[in-house]
Amino acid sequence: MQTAKREIAVSMTDISKRFGPVRALENANLEIARGSILGLVGQNGAGKSTIIKVLAGIIKPDSGTIVINGETVSSLTPASVEKLGVHFIHQDRLLVPTATVGEAVFLGHEIGLGPFVSRRAMARKAADLLKRFFGMELPAGTLVKDLTTAQQKVVQITRALAQKASVLVLDEPTAALVKREVDSLFDVLRRLRDDGIAVVFISHYMQEIEKLCDRVTVMRNGTDVGTVDPRETSIDEIISMMIARDVGEMFPKRSVTLGAPVLEVANLRLGGSFENIGFNVRAGEIVGLTGLLGSGAKEIVQCLFGLKTADGGSIKVEGKQLALSTPVKAVRDGIAMLPEDRRAHGVALGLSVRENISLASLRRYSKNGLVSRGSENQAVDGLIKELSIKTPHRDALVRELSGGNQQKVAIAKWLSCQSRVYVLDEPTVAVDVGAKVEIYNLLNRLAGEGAAILLLSSDLLELVGVCDRVLVVYRGRLAGTFSGPSMNSDALLAASSGARSNADGVAA
Amino acid sequence: MSVQTNDKPKVSLRAFLAKYSVLIAFAAIVIFFAVASPTFLTPANLFNVLVNNVVMLAIVALGLTIVISSGGIDLSVGVSVDMASMVFVMLLAAGYSGVVGVGGGLGAALVVGILNAILITRLNISPFLATLGVLFIGQSAQQLATSGGQPIYLTSGYAGDQFNAIARTALLGIPTPVIVLILCALAVHFLLHRSVFGRYVQAMGAQPGVAWYSGIRVPRELSLVHVLCALLAGVTGILLSATVKSYVPLSGNAFLLDAIGATFIGTTLSRERKPSVIGTLLGVFLLAIVKNGLLLVGWNFYWQQVGIGVLVFLVLAASFGLRRAAH
Repeated sequence: MQTAKREIAVSMTDISKRFGPVRALENANLEIARGSILGLVGQNGAGKSTIIKVLAGIIKPDSGTIVINGETVSSLTPASVEKLGVHFIHQDRLLVPTATVGEAVFLGHEIGLGPFVSRRAMARKAADLLKRFFGMELPAGTLVKDLTTAQQKVVQITRALAQKASVLVLDEPTAALVKREVDSLFDVLRRLRDDGIAVVFISHYMQEIEKLCDRVTVMRNGTDVGTVDPRETSIDEIISMMIARDVGEMFPKRSVTLGAPVLEVANLRLGGSFENIGFNVRAGEIVGLTGLLGSGAKEIVQCLFGLKTADGGSIKVEGKQLALSTPVKAVRDGIAMLPEDRRAHGVALGLSVRENISLASLRRYSKNGLVSRGSENQAVDGLIKELSIKTPHRDALVRELSGGNQQKVAIAKWLSCQSRVYVLDEPTVAVDVGAKVEIYNLLNRLAGEGAAILLLSSDLLELVGVCDRVLVVYRGRLAGTFSGPSMNSDALLAASSGARSNADGVAA
Repeated sequence: MSVQTNDKPKVSLRAFLAKYSVLIAFAAIVIFFAVASPTFLTPANLFNVLVNNVVMLAIVALGLTIVISSGGIDLSVGVSVDMASMVFVMLLAAGYSGVVGVGGGLGAALVVGILNAILITRLNISPFLATLGVLFIGQSAQQLATSGGQPIYLTSGYAGDQFNAIARTALLGIPTPVIVLILCALAVHFLLHRSVFGRYVQAMGAQPGVAWYSGIRVPRELSLVHVLCALLAGVTGILLSATVKSYVPLSGNAFLLDAIGATFIGTTLSRERKPSVIGTLLGVFLLAIVKNGLLLVGWNFYWQQVGIGVLVFLVLAASFGLRRAAH
């Protein structure tokens, strides 16, 4: 029984919210209509939970207007929102486990006389409500902890209805429910909709969205990118709205002429990890390295940076034989390392962008042991601009930067050193898609300027998209080298798992 | 992708109070004691505070500032003070010249620093446990060397008299110990905040893994940190002996907690709670003035300790609490 004219219960317009440099919401809009179930979808970090927390009065927005039941509200608190009839069923906010159903339903709005609570009245009323709304015969004296998860959700909803809720927001309500319980929850929600209540349903499960919702608002990068009818729009289309770009754009194309070998590894051996490893990386070349956990690929990279000392073999950079026993020597010999654990090894979060960038190359910017701030600032500013590092200023703490920009600071540190060889260990783990593309672009530029790049990654698509050549390590040995048309994720996966070896021949 | 401009932190009253809580506390305390005691603001009293309460504590605290910046701690600074004091006094008492006495005293402190450095960088013992062990050993060693803690006095006629004279005289109107402090503070300031070594110290303090992965010789720099701290404590040991013309076993321990307190009070000046030379000096002044003021208004020694405890708590709580609220 949907009303023909959609009556708006809540309207949020141009909501923006920043946390430091991070834009959690930017001009986001959300319109919740009475008698309708609105789905809210988006990837993690798209801004779904932030906008809901704004509505719940938990987060204060920087700007934007919120109209609830025709009334513009300026500052919301969790208590004032409930008074306006907007109720939230949070994913993790559970009921007091030792309360009875009656107490739980009237929590915060106890019935009684003065300071005295009438448990009997509450139990009777709660039982009435449960029966009226859900046809549920639940002894109101039952303890919350003895209810099923689905029953607890129903009790939470009943609590909202007891306060005359006109808007009900459910955050991932089905996460802990089994199929049958989901179905009965959906029946409840449909009945509420038919009674004219506005329901917002947040979920990662697209099938549920399609089945339940009348409209779906899709969020991406802190803003709403569209509201569609799920009966007219396919799941695939909704998913493509959630994702910023398709895979083709993710890996920028490049053309580069390869120079002389910069990094030459021969017969490298580390007891218990790998043996007989030999390969070259030429100037301008991006070589991938991959292998399953324990294959020895990781240890090869560690040996190249002096984190582990190889038992035998040779490592040469620009023809010079290196004796790598510590990172100190590796850095001096022009090897740069982008470690996998960025926060532990890549950047010091408590230091400024400037201090991080110049850390490995302070000798360049110092005289008689004292740092010359002039030349340091100049170099740092140049690198911030060159890598388009998004930072308020050079003295901002790295902690305040986004993951992708932190990674760029880690790369800038080595650019400042003018390293010749870049060893990257899973550089795009835990950075968002946009920052990934920027890092790929950066790798291309580094290679274009004649650096030799060795990329250790377990993301096969990334390897295929970025590298000129990929080496696969299997049980401590090179199981194959792939390039050109033979370099595809199927082949890499097969070689890593020992199913197939060698496409181009092992020697590079 | 341009550099964002609208990200300057807004200066709120709370943030301001948080940042300058030490200075505000300082001003409030000075005003309070100036009103409560007529002698507090007299030049003679302030001179006394400076020479007797500030200088020696400040030099020890400067050393701890370096160590705490590197992410470590040195619980054995008192031992460094005592060892320098003991060797200095013993050498003078045995008739050696002042130069030998100072050299020997600093050498003794150096030994403590090197011992710490070896334990921490070679044996990979945490700074807390390593220096705690050295503290225990150092205390017992002193008692063994002085038949259970007998003081050694410098009687008249020794070079000690000259030192005592130096400690009590002034150069261009500035007391000699204050000149020593100024020189030490300037040196540590440049070392910590301007030099390459200082940057490495800050990096090790902020994230040791990053320092190692950036090609910094962490063990070497860390050794230097502990040696410098011990040497500065040694300077205090020599000043102490020159002032009181004696070596009293275990007297260096009195500096440890005050110096740690002063350094951490100083960290409230920095948003990232990093120690700094200026912050540490402020912390030392604050503690010295509170002690002196409480004495003047008639509180006994034990209540002074209570007063200082409350002060440290209030300054840290105000600074961090307000800062969190401002955030």
